[in-house]
Amino acid sequence: MNSIIIGQYIPGKGFFYKLDPRTKIISILFLMIAVFMLQNITQLLIAFGIAFLMLLIGRISILKVIKGLKPIFVLLIFTFVFQIALNTEGVILSQATMHFNIYSVIGIVAVFVIWRLLLRFGRLKILLFIAFMLGVYFVLRYINYLADFYSFQFTIYEKGIEMSVFVVVRLLIIITLTTVLTLTTKPTDLTSGLESLMHPLKKIGFNSEDFALIISIALRYIPTIFDESQKIMAAQASRGADFSEGKLKDKMKQIISLLVPMFIIAFMRSEELADAMESRNFVPGERRTRINILTFSMIDVYTSVFTLLCFASAIVLKVIA
Amino acid sequence: MGIYFNEVTHEYASYSKKTYKAIQNISLRIEKDYEFIALVGHTGSGKSTLAKHMNALIFPTSGSVDIFGKHIAQKRDKKISYNQLRKNVGLVFQFPEYQLFEETVEKDIMFGPLNFKVPLEEAKVIAKESLELVGLDETYLKRNPFNLSGGEKKRVSIAGILALDPDILVLDEPTSGLDPAGKNTLMKLFTEIHQKTNKTIIIITHDMDLVYEYFNRVIVLKDGELSFDGTPDNLFRSDVLDSNHLDYPNTIKTLKYLKEKLGLDVDIYQKNVDDVVVEINRVIANE
Repeated sequence: MNSIIIGQYIPGKGFFYKLDPRTKIISILFLMIAVFMLQNITQLLIAFGIAFLMLLIGRISILKVIKGLKPIFVLLIFTFVFQIALNTEGVILSQATMHFNIYSVIGIVAVFVIWRLLLRFGRLKILLFIAFMLGVYFVLRYINYLADFYSFQFTIYEKGIEMSVFVVVRLLIIITLTTVLTLTTKPTDLTSGLESLMHPLKKIGFNSEDFALIISIALRYIPTIFDESQKIMAAQASRGADFSEGKLKDKMKQIISLLVPMFIIAFMRSEELADAMESRNFVPGERRTRINILTFSMIDVYTSVFTLLCFASAIVLKVIA
Repeated sequence: MGIYFNEVTHEYASYSKKTYKAIQNISLRIEKDYEFIALVGHTGSGKSTLAKHMNALIFPTSGSVDIFGKHIAQKRDKKISYNQLRKNVGLVFQFPEYQLFEETVEKDIMFGPLNFKVPLEEAKVIAKESLELVGLDETYLKRNPFNLSGGEKKRVSIAGILALDPDILVLDEPTSGLDPAGKNTLMKLFTEIHQKTNKTIIIITHDMDLVYEYFNRVIVLKDGELSFDGTPDNLFRSDVLDSNHLDYPNTIKTLKYLKEKLGLDVDIYQKNVDDVVVEINRVIANE
C-alpha cells in the first residue's frame, strides 16, 4: 500500500495546500481544457514551463511528481514510438531498412534475454527499458548478413518527432496538474469540494450530500476492507489455497474463496454501520450542519484570475490560428 | 519432528520507517506429539505473530524456524513448497466462521483437501469424518453454511482444517465470544482429538481457567519476549503472572480468598470447579 504515489495525499505546507478544494477542482479542470486547446509545440512548451513554475511556487517536490509518473511511463514510451512510426509529414530525418532475418531474430531474442537478466540486478528499470528498445532498433537495422524474410522501411519524419514530443509533453502537463490536485488535497476535502460544486444538481433530483457521504464512507473503509482481505487470505492460505501458484482453474476457486467472505463481511459491516448511524439520529435526505465549512480567501481569487487568464489566452490563440 | 524456533525476531515495517518488533529472540521447541500447549500473554504480546510463523505464513526478520525439517529463514526459498507446510501445521484463526464461502458444508470442508489434490471421492469421506469429529452429523453436509448458527459455523470451519489431517493444530482464541458452556464444549472437543490422536495442539487463549484445567504446557509471552515456558502448576506457583499483568484462574483465586478470609487450610491449586468442591468438602469434614 505504501508505494502507490499516484493519487496519494501527502501532508505538507505551501501554496496549494491553502487553496479551497473547489478552487483547485475548477481551476485544474479549466487549465486542462486550455492545454488541450493549444495547437503547436511552442505554446505547449510554454505551458509546460508554467506548470513547472507552479510546482516550484507551490514547493511541491518534483521528485514526488516524477515518482507518480512511473506507472504510466511505459504508456509514454509507447505513445512516443507510435507517433514517430505513424507520422509521415515533413522533412525526412532518418530512413533505414529494418531487416527481419534469422540472425536478427536471434539478435532480438539475445537482447531480450540480456534485458531480463539485467532487470534482476539493476535498479534503473526505466533506463534498461529504453536500452532494450534501442537494442532492438540497432539489431533490426544493422544485422543484414542474410536474406530477409521480411523487411520494412522505418522512416522518422520531422513532424513525427514534433508530434510525439507534443503528445508526451501534453500528457505530462495533464498528469502534473492532477497529481498536484490529489497530492495537496485530502480525500475528504476533495469530497466536500465536489459536494459543494454539485449542489445545484439538487434541482434535478441528484442529492450531492448523499453522494458525498457515500464517497466518504467508501474512502474510510478502504483500510478496513484491506485488513479484512489480509485476514481472509491468511485463513484460506492455511487451508492450502496458494495465491501465488496454481493453474487458472485453481486460481478461480481461490479468488472466490477470497471474494465471497469479503462480500459477506462488507454487507454485515454496512448493516451495522447503518444501525449505528440511525441510532445517532441520522436520517438520509434530512439537512445536516457541518463542522468544517469551506471558505474562500484571497489566494483563491488570485488563482481563479490566473486560471481565467490562461483559459482566455488559450481561446485567443486558437481563434487566431 | 516439530516446530523449532531459533532466536526468531519479527519486525513489522511501517510507513514512517520506524519498525515495530512484534516478537524478539524467541527460541522454542514444539514436538509433533503429546503436547497440549496454551500460548498466553497480554494483548499485543506477539501471540498471533508467533502463531503465523508456525505454518510459514510470515517469515522471521532474523533467526529461523524449522518446521517439520524445512528451514524457514528471511527469504523465500524457491525449493521449499511452503504450501505443503499448511498440511503439516493446521492454523485456525479467530472467528474462523468468516472463512466459509461455499454453497454447502460438504464443499467447504472439502476445499482444504481438494487444494492438496486429494481425489474427490476420498475428500467426501474426509468431509463426513471431520464433521463427526466436531460433533455434527451428516445432515449438515448438504446445508448452506450461511444458514447455520454461530456455534455450528465455528465447528464447520474447524472441521475444514481438521480435514487436512494436520500433524500439529494451532488455534487462535477458538473460544472467544462463546458462553461458558460453549467454551467447555469446544475445549472438550480439542482434548478428545488430542487424546485420540496424540497430536500436539497449541491454543492461544486469555482464559486462565481453561489453561489450568486442560493444558500440560504454558508458554507466556510478554512484550514479544518469552516470559515463561513450563507446566501450569509451576506457572501459578511462581510470580510470573504478577509481572505479566495476567490473572490467576478463578479456582485458585476463590480458594485463596477462602483461605485468607476464613482461615481454611485448603490446597489452593485445584484445576476445576469439581476439584474445588471436593477440596473444600475435605477440609470442612476434617475440622
